[in-house]
Amino acid sequence: MGLHGTRLTAFAAVLIAATATLLAAAVLLGSGGLDAELILKLRAPRVLAAVGVGALLALSGLAMQVLLRNPLADPYVMGTSGGASVGALLALMGGVSLWIGAAGGALFAGVLLLALARSALAASEDASARLILTGAMLASVAGALATLLLTITPDERLRGAIFWLVGDLSGAQGGSVCLLAALAFALVLFSRRRSVDRLLLGSEAAALLGEPVRRLRYELLVAASLAAGLAVATAGTIGFIGLVVPQLLRLVGVQRTRELAWMSPVGGAGLLVAADLAARMVVAPMEMPVGAVMALIGAPLFIGFLMRSGR
Amino acid sequence: MQGSLIETRSLTLGAAGRTLVSELSWQASAGERWCVIGRNAVGKSTLLRALAGLAVPHREGTVSWLGRSQAEWSPPDAAALRAFVPQQSADRFSVTVQRLLELAVCVPGGPDPQALLLALDAASLAERDVMQLSGGERQRVALAQCAAQGAPLMLLDEPVAFQDPAHQRQVARWLITLAKRCLVFSAHDVNWIASVATHVLALHGDGGWEAGPVARMLSAERLQAVYGCCWRQADGAWLMID
Repeated sequence: MGLHGTRLTAFAAVLIAATATLLAAAVLLGSGGLDAELILKLRAPRVLAAVGVGALLALSGLAMQVLLRNPLADPYVMGTSGGASVGALLALMGGVSLWIGAAGGALFAGVLLLALARSALAASEDASARLILTGAMLASVAGALATLLLTITPDERLRGAIFWLVGDLSGAQGGSVCLLAALAFALVLFSRRRSVDRLLLGSEAAALLGEPVRRLRYELLVAASLAAGLAVATAGTIGFIGLVVPQLLRLVGVQRTRELAWMSPVGGAGLLVAADLAARMVVAPMEMPVGAVMALIGAPLFIGFLMRSGR
Repeated sequence: MQGSLIETRSLTLGAAGRTLVSELSWQASAGERWCVIGRNAVGKSTLLRALAGLAVPHREGTVSWLGRSQAEWSPPDAAALRAFVPQQSADRFSVTVQRLLELAVCVPGGPDPQALLLALDAASLAERDVMQLSGGERQRVALAQCAAQGAPLMLLDEPVAFQDPAHQRQVARWLITLAKRCLVFSAHDVNWIASVATHVLALHGDGGWEAGPVARMLSAERLQAVYGCCWRQADGAWLMID
């Protein structure tokens, strides 16, 4: 049963209200209380970064799910974020812009995944396990490369480098750029909503309905990779947002790209803000890296979705 | 020649080093219902895919729609001309039947989706998720989806493979109501074919083929040539005999 009519409107209202409440809480709560300067200089940029990165990661996951026709695809699980962090580390060592390195690494990993997954994607039988495993191995290779790069990173840059591996929003800059990019990405998806919905029926089915499947898939690959790259350049490797948010929306009954294109980034922003709030508050005055918090939330959910999809 | 919707010229299809169809020169027009017959693995699905313009392992020769080669058709124009139903749909994402039919529309002002579902005994499925349908239900929905596309040329790969006898008859009656379209489908039940098809295209498995009106093609000798066993007609029904 799809969600529609008044129930869809009600759900949209609840989603927006919940995200807004989380945003307010994240800006207002924390050590130091309601100090205006603290709020403006520290908490607001951090919350803005969480919003932008969360929205980008959710959109990246949504696009990868369409591209790979697999509801469990996610930039972290499929190695795209890993590619971005390796690219970012290389850029850090070479003195190139982080964002270019991360975007290049993400795009490289995305193209590699598509090339490796070609046969799995072409097969008419259910090849989702093969696809996910291929992605997981790519992520594992990226993780190993990142570790190798860390061993040759000079000490004065080590702390910044470790940042990419864990995923952390403290001191994150560039939230507004992420937010603008997420907005553009959402608009691109929304403007192609009918084509994207048709692509979910299968690439051959979409081609039979007259869709330019190849061009659409290139667009999705580039957009998903750039979004993951920008998110990683801003906050490091934070996983599972792109998986959890669209999947939960689908479980509730949101099926169309018309809604998923805006509900995913809103939900992704809310989830990352909540996870970051938890990272700040749970063991206060100490802080946990939000990447670890998200993995603790996301990995069990991933296993849950996987078991559910196997039924 | 006049009114031919689809035409093949010297179409040769092969797979795994084997020739499936050799030098097929054939055409079909609106109002005709062609059934492709042949034993398993003779290339019925491959032929239907080639007629639909989909990728096949090996092909030579040309297929043209309305006198223009397939390659000259833009994807949207092709979608308005031909629809194709594969043997099975591999669904990965939840979507309601109603939405599926909406997404299929390529020709505005085509048939009413509700009426299509009703004609295929699928009206009660409109709100259901395609992932939760039975094989037979999913297939009838796929047939409705194909008609909803609005294309005059409909290519159906074993449209009654998963249907119970009552639904087989219902699908047969529905196909006959699509009088203005050109249908090409594959099937195995000779009596079902006799009740639906106006023409038959028989594939012999060695590349050989024979095409013609159903009355001529469904004869004891020709059925034996296709299926390799003996047939006789009793009370208007075909029976296989030992």
